[in-house]
Amino acid sequence: MSDPGAVAGLPSILDVGPAAPPAGLHLGRALRRTPAALIGVVAVGVVVLVALLAPVLAPYDAVAQIAQPLLRPGPGYLLGTDEFGRDELSRLIAGARVSLYVGGLAVLIALALGGPSGVLAGYHGGWVDDVTMRIMDVLLSLPALVLAIAITSVLGPSLTNVMIAIGIVYAPTFARVARGPTLAVARVPYIEAARAVGASSPTIVRRHVLPNVAAPILVQTTVSLSTAILTEAALSFLGLGTQPPTASWGLMLSAARQYMRLDPWIAVLPGSAIALTVLGFNLLGDGLRDLLDPQLRSR
Amino acid sequence: MRYLARRAAWTVIALLGVSVLIFVLVRLLPGSIVDILAGTEGQLSREQREQILRQFGLDRPWPVQYLQWLLAMLQGNFGWSFRSSQPVATLLASRLPITIELALLSVCGVALGGIPLGILASVSRSARVKTLVQIVGLLGLSVPNFWIAVLLIIAASTLAGWLPALIYVSPWSDPWVNLQQMFLPVLSLTLGLAAVVVRMTRSSMLEVLSQEFVRVARAKGLSARVVLLRHALANALIPIVTVLGLQAGYLLGGVVITEQIFGLPGLGWMLLNGVYQRDYPVVQATVMLFAVTFVLVNLVVDLLYTYLDPRIRYE
Repeated sequence: MSDPGAVAGLPSILDVGPAAPPAGLHLGRALRRTPAALIGVVAVGVVVLVALLAPVLAPYDAVAQIAQPLLRPGPGYLLGTDEFGRDELSRLIAGARVSLYVGGLAVLIALALGGPSGVLAGYHGGWVDDVTMRIMDVLLSLPALVLAIAITSVLGPSLTNVMIAIGIVYAPTFARVARGPTLAVARVPYIEAARAVGASSPTIVRRHVLPNVAAPILVQTTVSLSTAILTEAALSFLGLGTQPPTASWGLMLSAARQYMRLDPWIAVLPGSAIALTVLGFNLLGDGLRDLLDPQLRSR
Repeated sequence: MRYLARRAAWTVIALLGVSVLIFVLVRLLPGSIVDILAGTEGQLSREQREQILRQFGLDRPWPVQYLQWLLAMLQGNFGWSFRSSQPVATLLASRLPITIELALLSVCGVALGGIPLGILASVSRSARVKTLVQIVGLLGLSVPNFWIAVLLIIAASTLAGWLPALIYVSPWSDPWVNLQQMFLPVLSLTLGLAAVVVRMTRSSMLEVLSQEFVRVARAKGLSARVVLLRHALANALIPIVTVLGLQAGYLLGGVVITEQIFGLPGLGWMLLNGVYQRDYPVVQATVMLFAVTFVLVNLVVDLLYTYLDPRIRYE
């Protein structure tokens, strides 16, 4: 966003123009213009690569107890070992997989639950809108983490249940994001025209509504990945998420609480991994928002 | 007034929705409802079980059960915790003040730390400050507060050789010890959120500073400070208050983990221990109380808008 000549607080000249430039063409230039987004792309890229290549990259089995406990970083065990003598680096790498897997599927669940409800509510309007959005309001009446804790306490702690809980918790956000643009576009004359020439509702939604919803949903998906990963880490930290011996960053951090005075490293590493990943998705989401909606530029 | 009434009505409906949600969630639990609500797994004979079912009206249809539960709650009767064999209401009354203190201190910390820094950052027009504030703000969103808490404990104990008393002390009995105990938890909740507020304050101030009336105020010869604080800040506050309000929810969630880490026996601590011990009357009540607090905070934020900007009249 370092737009030369832009006056702070005033819309920059680059804001003028088509609302959504063909993303592919301008992506490279846009990334150069927004160093923050570039950092995001790199961070997310690194984490995704690490997760994909985990079996190749990890020097040891992430759950094997192979060395003395609480070794300091050094040759042999690059980042040391944890309280059970498991290789810390291998567990960090395996943790990237768990984080992205749980976060990714949780966001998909949220999108699948919230997106269609939002479009339906906005397109149909009237009582459908009222009922759907009031249900979402109920879910939004609880702090996200409290709702997630309540759901996992009923479902029981496990990887799958955490995904379901996080998916339910973040569904209302997607419903709201999808409803807004749908509502705005569903009342414009060209939709009426489309209906007049005999287009069915599914066709109208597909041809005219979804393209307007796609951009904000894409941004929301990226940002939600960051919050979903944070929530998974928090739940695992509290013992309500991923269960031992699976390597999850939140779980590792929670174990580190007991041993951090002996070995601060085991508290520093998993926290940094969480922060880096979440920051990456946040930067990426911000960058996408700038790219797709120049009018909403964050300053 | 009409807006206020409607807003209040929706608040009540949302809370009723939450109560239905909690009621249904607890009944989705596997096992007999007697065991779930009385914590007596495998200890009761069939006759005892049926007697309890009848006694507490648990043999009636769900809607009747729900209404009984709701009415009892409205009368301040939240049932009995079967792990500590105390009325849940008594427990709540002793836990809630701790959470309120933690949350209020944190909100003050966030506002007092974030807003002045944001104003300072808005005075600078350099691109570097802009990028820096942007990244710091995102860092605030990204760094988990429970990690900050863990790091603060490490730093305090190893570097400064200091850790406050482990058993919670109420501010009424010893305010100084209490403040010491609150210091690290509040700091762990505050740091991240303050960074977000810095970013929001800066962008909101810039928006206002570019408007005509600011130029007029400057042209009148008012000092930079008066323009900045009296004219610009007053108008920039609305989005800032919005963010602070949104953060209240994040804060209430953060309170759960923070209380657990620092051993503060507040509402979040009570919720988690209820979950760990499968003490469902406690879980029901704490979740409900979290919802009430959260919804009320949002209501207050909405009302603050009209106070901060008299132009906003909800009709």
